[in-house]
Amino acid sequence: MNVTKDLIAASAIPFVLAILKQEDSYGYAIIKMVKELTGDELVWSEGMLYPVLHRLEEKNLIESYWQGSETGRKRKYYRIKEEGVAELEMQKKQWEIVHAALSKTWLKFTKHKEEFIYV
Amino acid sequence: MFDLEANVRSWSDHLRRRGNFKEADIIELENHLQDEIDELTKAGLSAEEAFLISVKRMGNVNAISQEFSKVNTENLWKHLMVDADQALSFGTNRKYIALVIVFSFLAGTAMKIPELFGLSINDSATALAYLKNLSFYILPFIAAFFLIKHQSTAKMWASIMGIFALAGILVNLYPSFAPNDTELLTAIHLPLFLWLITGVAYMGLEWKSSRGRMNFIRFTGESVIYGTLIFCGLVVLAMFTQAIFFAIQLDASWFIQNYLIVYGAAATAMITVYLVETKKSVVENFAPILAKIFSPLFLITMLIFLGVMIATGTSPFVEREYLIGFDLMLILVLGLVLYVISARNPYDKNNLFDYMNLALIVTALIIDGVALSAILFRLSAYGITPNKLAALGENLVLLVNLGGLAWLYILFFLKKTDFIKIEKWQTSYLYVYAVWLGIVAFIFPLIFGFN
Repeated sequence: MNVTKDLIAASAIPFVLAILKQEDSYGYAIIKMVKELTGDELVWSEGMLYPVLHRLEEKNLIESYWQGSETGRKRKYYRIKEEGVAELEMQKKQWEIVHAALSKTWLKFTKHKEEFIYV
Repeated sequence: MFDLEANVRSWSDHLRRRGNFKEADIIELENHLQDEIDELTKAGLSAEEAFLISVKRMGNVNAISQEFSKVNTENLWKHLMVDADQALSFGTNRKYIALVIVFSFLAGTAMKIPELFGLSINDSATALAYLKNLSFYILPFIAAFFLIKHQSTAKMWASIMGIFALAGILVNLYPSFAPNDTELLTAIHLPLFLWLITGVAYMGLEWKSSRGRMNFIRFTGESVIYGTLIFCGLVVLAMFTQAIFFAIQLDASWFIQNYLIVYGAAATAMITVYLVETKKSVVENFAPILAKIFSPLFLITMLIFLGVMIATGTSPFVEREYLIGFDLMLILVLGLVLYVISARNPYDKNNLFDYMNLALIVTALIIDGVALSAILFRLSAYGITPNKLAALGENLVLLVNLGGLAWLYILFFLKKTDFIKIEKWQTSYLYVYAVWLGIVAFIFPLIFGFN
């Protein structure tokens, strides 16, 4: 199933912040990570991820540094800052509100259905 | 045989041409592509297959470039949901063109105004006073163009226009006595000083950052190249006008001298600035090639010159005019070197042009050293004059600049420093130029009693 573009866009910042909170990472690894986490359901395009990273850097939520990698190329790593952790906490709360509310409605929905079935 | 490296390079060049990327962005994306290719090759694909699939996955270059261009403008999420507003960019472009036209006209008229007061470039008695003010007719308009473009704050407007006004008042309040040496020095140094001020308007809020300044250096080089080209076109137009009207026994030269060239020059400056700034991607592909063609040629010329000078034992610095000529040549060499540096990818491995750049710097250093000794000799033999002191200062400033570049280049080749350090050195050194140019333009007349 393909997740819609809007939902991908809205979830991008919490995803990036959450992944970076675990450990410093770079673009390619972040995309792979998201793919793994969602079981290939949510695939980001590169054109989207990098602007998000740069935007977050501009907002002072994350910072970047260049580091050599095992392949010999210099890689741009991103690290979460304290402001980023705070932002993540806030985003988490917001998502929990949405998630909790939606779950409730879905629960009701299925209950109705069950009643309908039993009647 | 499929050349993976060349293909990756041509892909990133393709991105570069879009003009929305900073060099670091491109390296980041290129690394990403490489990672993808590595993974696919590990899974058993051939290099060619892996490359094609990776490029496909990266997505349409247009789309990536569009996403990147948004980062610097507005909230990304708004753009992701609403399509980019094409009409707006078309509208702003129209606004800039209108600005260019209006400012060209104003600058051209500004050049005509002094004639009402009897100041004219064609009159040898007042030519110097006219020349001294030349930068005030055009540079404030260029600065204003950038200030409008960046939607600068009132504070920025006030500081830049304030400096222009202050410089204008100061320079015109200074008296001048024969032989007018200091006035001529002011006339030469003031435009360069004010160009750096215009640079602050060009860089906007980034004027303190190394990247912003490197952009300004690149912008300066490209403006020189394009300005020259456009001005050549103007001269052709003037000659053509002259010729066809001559055929019907009409002398058009008064019109050409008084209007075509004046307004044409103003328009040339404005159009150049507009083109170089807004059509970055077109310009960037062309100008570095010019620098790469001419830096070896300059190197050869200077090496031969140095060889002949040593072999014959004649010093070319006996005449003052030649001394200034050599200063100009050093500035040109510095310009070339800077241009090659600014057009270079800071994360590249060192290549032939880096070594050539170092050779160019070292040769220029040696010639500068010879020139310096000639100036010192003249100073001790004939006493201090404003011209000699100015030449001495220029040489010292250039010497330190080139020396620093050479030193950092050597460290870079020995892998003891990053290329970024070379850029940082150069961009910080702009302060020294601003200060020195300011001293010659404003303090020299005071020291030497306006002679």
